Amino acid sequence: MNIRNESRTRLYSSCLLFLAGLFLLAPPSSAQAADCTTRIGAVLPTSVDWGRPIAATAQFAVELYNESGGVKGCDVEMVLRDTQTDPKIGVDAAKALVDLDKVPVLIGAVSSGVSMPILTSVTAPSGVMQMSCCSSSTAFTDVAKEGKTKGLWFRTFATTRNQAAIAAKLIKDRGYKSVGIFYKNDDWGQDIGKLVAADLETLGIEVTTSAAINDSQPSYRAEVTSVLKTKPEAIYLALYPTEGISLVREWLSLGGTQEFVAANSLKSDEFRDGVGMQYLEKLIGHDSAPPRTDSATTFVDMYTAKFSSEPNGPGLPNSFDAVMISLLAMDAADELDGTTIAASVPRITDPAGTPIFPDVAGLKQARELLAAGENISYQGATGAVVFDANGDVSAPAVAWTFSETGVEEAAYYPLADVDAFIATLTR
Amino acid sequence: MLQSLFDGILVGSILSLGAIGLTLIMHILRFANFSHAELISMGAYFTLTLDAVFTAFSRALASKLPMLSVSVSLMLAMLVALLITGILAAIIDKLVFKRLREQAGPLTMVFASFGIGLIIRNVIGLVYGLKSMHYSSDIAFAMVISSDPLLLIKADQLFILALTLLVMVSLHLFMSRTSVGFALKAISENPVLAQINGINLASMVRLAWLLGGALAAIAGVCYALNNQLSPVMGRDLVLSLFAAAIVGGIGSIYGAALGGLIVGLASSLALLIIPAGYKPAVPFLIILLVLYLRPNGLFGEER
Amino acid sequence: MIGIISYLAFFLTIALILAIAVLGLNLQWGYTGLFNGGIVAFFGAGAYGIILLGGPERIDGFGGFSLPYPLALLGGIALSGVLALMVGLATTRLRHDYLAIATFGVAIAMESVMRNASWLTGGATGLRGFERPLEAIVGNSFAYNLLFLFFVLVCVSLVFLFLEILVRSPFGRLLRAVRENERAARSLGKSPSSVRLTAFVIGAMIMGLSGALYATFYAFISPQDLAPILTFQIWAMLIVGGSGNNLGAVLGTLVVWGAWVGSGWLLTALAPTHLQLYTGSIQYILVGAIIVSSLLWRPRGLLPEKLSIHALPPPDPGSPGQGSESQPANSPNQPAENTQ
Repeated sequence: MNIRNESRTRLYSSCLLFLAGLFLLAPPSSAQAADCTTRIGAVLPTSVDWGRPIAATAQFAVELYNESGGVKGCDVEMVLRDTQTDPKIGVDAAKALVDLDKVPVLIGAVSSGVSMPILTSVTAPSGVMQMSCCSSSTAFTDVAKEGKTKGLWFRTFATTRNQAAIAAKLIKDRGYKSVGIFYKNDDWGQDIGKLVAADLETLGIEVTTSAAINDSQPSYRAEVTSVLKTKPEAIYLALYPTEGISLVREWLSLGGTQEFVAANSLKSDEFRDGVGMQYLEKLIGHDSAPPRTDSATTFVDMYTAKFSSEPNGPGLPNSFDAVMISLLAMDAADELDGTTIAASVPRITDPAGTPIFPDVAGLKQARELLAAGENISYQGATGAVVFDANGDVSAPAVAWTFSETGVEEAAYYPLADVDAFIATLTR
Repeated sequence: MLQSLFDGILVGSILSLGAIGLTLIMHILRFANFSHAELISMGAYFTLTLDAVFTAFSRALASKLPMLSVSVSLMLAMLVALLITGILAAIIDKLVFKRLREQAGPLTMVFASFGIGLIIRNVIGLVYGLKSMHYSSDIAFAMVISSDPLLLIKADQLFILALTLLVMVSLHLFMSRTSVGFALKAISENPVLAQINGINLASMVRLAWLLGGALAAIAGVCYALNNQLSPVMGRDLVLSLFAAAIVGGIGSIYGAALGGLIVGLASSLALLIIPAGYKPAVPFLIILLVLYLRPNGLFGEER
Repeated sequence: MIGIISYLAFFLTIALILAIAVLGLNLQWGYTGLFNGGIVAFFGAGAYGIILLGGPERIDGFGGFSLPYPLALLGGIALSGVLALMVGLATTRLRHDYLAIATFGVAIAMESVMRNASWLTGGATGLRGFERPLEAIVGNSFAYNLLFLFFVLVCVSLVFLFLEILVRSPFGRLLRAVRENERAARSLGKSPSSVRLTAFVIGAMIMGLSGALYATFYAFISPQDLAPILTFQIWAMLIVGGSGNNLGAVLGTLVVWGAWVGSGWLLTALAPTHLQLYTGSIQYILVGAIIVSSLLWRPRGLLPEKLSIHALPPPDPGSPGQGSESQPANSPNQPAENTQ
């Protein structure tokens, strides 16, 4: 080994030593400010294109809550870790947050494949409450039914069943006779793709073909062609913006129809701008509904002021609500441990409680009511959320269309209507 | 059927273009360079930035070439980006691969290239953001060649096919007709003997990286033209490129081009018989079949 | 304090489960020179195998035979072995990059089946596992995690001892002979192809054990666990640790996995809240930098292979790629074939 190599070796070893030193010198408590802080944890895929805005929205909710006074007078610090969409990375991050940072509440994850092992091997055994914005798998309902979530699991993602029914209803109301389906080939996409196809069959509408769209394919040309040649009247899209843009551009460039029906995940500025508004005028989408009140625009306005774009993207309103409900439940709980906080969630989402909107004034009012032992009805970004015994939410639905400035609501379907329509499907 | 056939060829031509650069590096430097993916992304993103700079200087440059969605400034930007990407590739070699080439085996280099790929991909993500971007927000509509049987073709894709053929032939001529090309070949086949004959190893390695980087950048620009730019574009593409290079036989330029077409055709035709969900597996099943019949690829030699 | 122990036990459990797969790879690459690019296929076969065999009955699909745990574990390992035998028969005559891409293809095909064949594998949703053995008896989850760590530790030790005995046996010398010079091995009347196949299958079964333990620990498996990144992680652990050295393989696993998750923890601890959105990307950059600098610092791994023969001169340092690719990375004491 020559001298140069030796000096380099020394350089590298000193770098490693420095890193090791940082590990030792930076105990998790070092971030503690002079004022009291309360920590919660979040594990979200911040290194993935659609994951970062979800995390930014969660941080925004925390900021807003701190502005209104924080949990029990203490500032909330949300420790955010990346999952890299790799289950073992996400589970490890969750375990570190629970064991080292001692968080009583964990927000996340996005993919069901990450949330599930976190639930079964970290949060449920440790008695930590877990609230996911976006995990849609039906398996969580099964776990909850078996009592294995210990009531610690919640998700603000409205069940796929209702959304699929509304998709079928939109297709029927527009009078399409044949529909081709593109669905994202993950647990959510497979679920909603199959449900919509089954509902359409029941309604007597032909599904010409369903094409699974895998992530990160160099080209979607073959998938587009395979649906194009079946000549459907309209297309149902259950995709995320990234592959949605790529696929719809390919679809249009090959002369495909502009009669689109889209899932809530495509309600995004990125998708509208990526494809081009001029091609999306006929698109109609479905989503769960925001609250039907004068203050319905609270969240949208605050979000637009902060990010200078509307909160349109997969999981953004859900992420906001997941954090808000968790923090309100912490304020409602007598003690800050997971089980007590989880048990306080019904006090936040009590339909008979005082309606509360998630702005600074509303949150202050909420805290006073909770301190007085009263219940509140949180009117969040996805509506007046109510969890059932399994931590699932059912929500009323809306139909929306794109406009030059953002998204416009086209129709509103109260929960009763949605349920009635589902009843006609299962008849 | 006819449409699937054309789709396969046109999508395949992008893979061919990318695989030619990859196979060249794999042959001359004797390791599977995973950071080729990030050279592809860098080429595409540099072109994006330079295109914006050029059009800011002169609006005239922004005019599109007839039929295509390619503008004059984009072509100029691409040429500059080729050079920058090539030079960066050579710099990365000097910083990392040179040392490993001297002290360790090809596998160490493969995983170093993986690490470099991770670094570059995420730096791009930090600089340009994670969302996908386009050179032009207009959609280039396909021409209807025939309506029954349905046949649609995009002018851009014919342009890419032509570019691929041009690159393939000129690279082949360069490698088989010029003395520099011979020197590169000699280095790849027997470095010791080549050096005895007065070939400068260091400058040949530099040249190989310049070429490899430039070829990656062309592939990146063409891919982005047809699809989109995103920090993971190279990563998404590179596995298919390895598939193409290996089906063709490592080191064979014509083999890589043919391999690209085979992979493209296979993915396209396969959807006629299998559900779309299985598509990612198709190129690799083709590889298994080809390698079962020809263990060194279609045009590869045993070594 | 109990939190730190609890986390460390958890960290070690996953790290050691991965270490088993790295040891399996070390047999294939380190000792036999087989470039297996499809680790997730064999890992996945073990994981899905154990859950299909040992899991509760499924209403909507095949499998769920509720076999006792040891049987399900052996079944998962056997499934990896069968898969490896089929893949091996078709591919072990391939060399280097060609073998790598062929086995990589097997892994991608495997992931596709797991993602799409819902009747068998639950599709993208994945499969939920069974009650973990003894969990109901132990009750306390912290104590159970310690017990599970002990179980994994026993498994790693057994695999480690088995491999150490194997590579010191005459069969082990045969493996290295095939790796270094296949023609010479054949001239001695040995059958290189059956030696390679045996090593490939044993290595894959060890990876299957790793997958089975992984699925047991999470009581869950989904196609997301079988992303190609896992193959890369396992390989990086072996190359950083030192291929051809079982201790190096285990050390490499601890270092790489520690760097991978530790960098994330460190960055969030140091970064102010508004920058935490970007720590994911920075974490990747840091992981890449750690791997690259570790390889630059110790090109042959932290604990390189110990070779007992030093008679041959080192190769010419000037040759690119250090000669022929038929040389594994870890045998610089052998002259490159094409420089002779």
